[in-house]
Amino acid sequence: MSHTAKPTALKMGIPIPNSKLGLWLFLGTEIMFFTAFIGSYIVLRLGSRGWPTDTHDTHINVILGGLNTFVLIVSSYLVVVAHEAMAQKNFAKARTYLTGTLLLAFVFLGIKSAEYYGKISNDILPGHIAETSSQAVKKASRELEVVVRDRFAEYTTSGVVPTDRPNDIVNLVNQIATLPSVATPPEGVSEGTFNALKESAPVDAELFRQWMNLHQHIVANVSLKVPAIGPEYLAARAELKEGEKLPELEYAEVTSLLTDMKANEKYGYYVTKGVFEPHPIVYGNIFASTYFLMTGFHAIHVVVGMILFWLVLKQGSKLDEKWTDFVENSGLYWHFVDLVWIFLFPMLYII
Amino acid sequence: MSHDSHAGHVAHTDHDAHDTHHVNYLAIFVVLCICTALSVIFDVVHMSKPITIVLVMSVAITKALCVMMFFMHLKFEGNWKFVLLAPTTILAIGLPLALFPDVGASYYTSTAPQTTKWAQEISDYQKHHAEHTESANHAEPEHADPDPAHVE
Repeated sequence: MSHTAKPTALKMGIPIPNSKLGLWLFLGTEIMFFTAFIGSYIVLRLGSRGWPTDTHDTHINVILGGLNTFVLIVSSYLVVVAHEAMAQKNFAKARTYLTGTLLLAFVFLGIKSAEYYGKISNDILPGHIAETSSQAVKKASRELEVVVRDRFAEYTTSGVVPTDRPNDIVNLVNQIATLPSVATPPEGVSEGTFNALKESAPVDAELFRQWMNLHQHIVANVSLKVPAIGPEYLAARAELKEGEKLPELEYAEVTSLLTDMKANEKYGYYVTKGVFEPHPIVYGNIFASTYFLMTGFHAIHVVVGMILFWLVLKQGSKLDEKWTDFVENSGLYWHFVDLVWIFLFPMLYII
Repeated sequence: MSHDSHAGHVAHTDHDAHDTHHVNYLAIFVVLCICTALSVIFDVVHMSKPITIVLVMSVAITKALCVMMFFMHLKFEGNWKFVLLAPTTILAIGLPLALFPDVGASYYTSTAPQTTKWAQEISDYQKHHAEHTESANHAEPEHADPDPAHVE
């Protein structure tokens, strides 16, 4: 067979480079990906008979969101002028612009991290948010229990209170409460550690009693003003007439108790650190889920864009016209990332 | 990187022709910045919710069009853009459309716990919160709304 005749190039298909076609096909899938998120968010929000929009609840900061929008717009502008510089074979200029884009991507992620920190530090996380006052009270009790367990762990891990059941805090509290009467430290425990924990033992035992009292009132669902267990509770119940019931535990009582506990000079520090403000946010969990899903995936796309720009910048002075299409395609991807944020900003931060 | 096939190079020639369009990118950038500032202003200035939604979404669509047409050069690309993007866009809105009647529109009575099981509790909390705010601020009392839908 002869191979001498060279076939004429056929002008078929889409008149763009294959790499650009591939990128646009990829962006097509990305459109479907983000529209699914954004569309589902709109549908869920429309279907919810309420939505947290108070910034004290959501810890949404419109100024930071607006700043991030501005950062992405500047970075998009720098990408487009970088591609223009590449087309003009001014590679040094292109590198400068792309460096600016990469730095702005870091700024975007920095601001995003600050926003995430604001939410995480207030426990605005999917599945963590109390939506009613009773959920808020139970959540506060669970957090208080963790504080107690952490305090008790100091006694068991140091060996001051030897036990083979370190999680049995009801049993441990008796050993901790009697610690001040123990004269000598157990074997292998330093005198300093022993004395320090001996001194804090009554405080931690009192912290346990406060939590246990709250826990028992939650289980019995009776006001903190009346006993929740024991002969007094049974006596109070026995005195009730037909149809009467003991006063129920009120949200305000619990917030008041927690405020007092946080103000306590002995254990207030631990309570403040470990127990969030028990504030119910209706539909808060679905808000947090959609917020973190959309902004999280957007942030992942920002990181991918940063990798693309880093690949170009890694070439240094060797950057040449072979990279022009790569810069154009990376730019198209980056503009798409900007485009997604253009819709996320008003929907999550303003509406 | 231009390591495309021979056919790709042929195509590249046509593609280069599109790049001859001059765009004042700085002007587009300024428009985008003004639009972002407008979005923030619409949030700060108190208006009714529907008006705010219309205004900020109009601004978002304007910004998106600017980015797509000029930064992504779609204004100067051939008709292939419709072939590529129209099907994906139609498919993309399929999911929200499919979910809307059942989840979004709620043509039946909602059975979400927030509106049924928890409704009384939420109402009680809002009532208490309103009383608390009143006593704390010595201001006009907030009227507790028994409808848990109005939590915003």
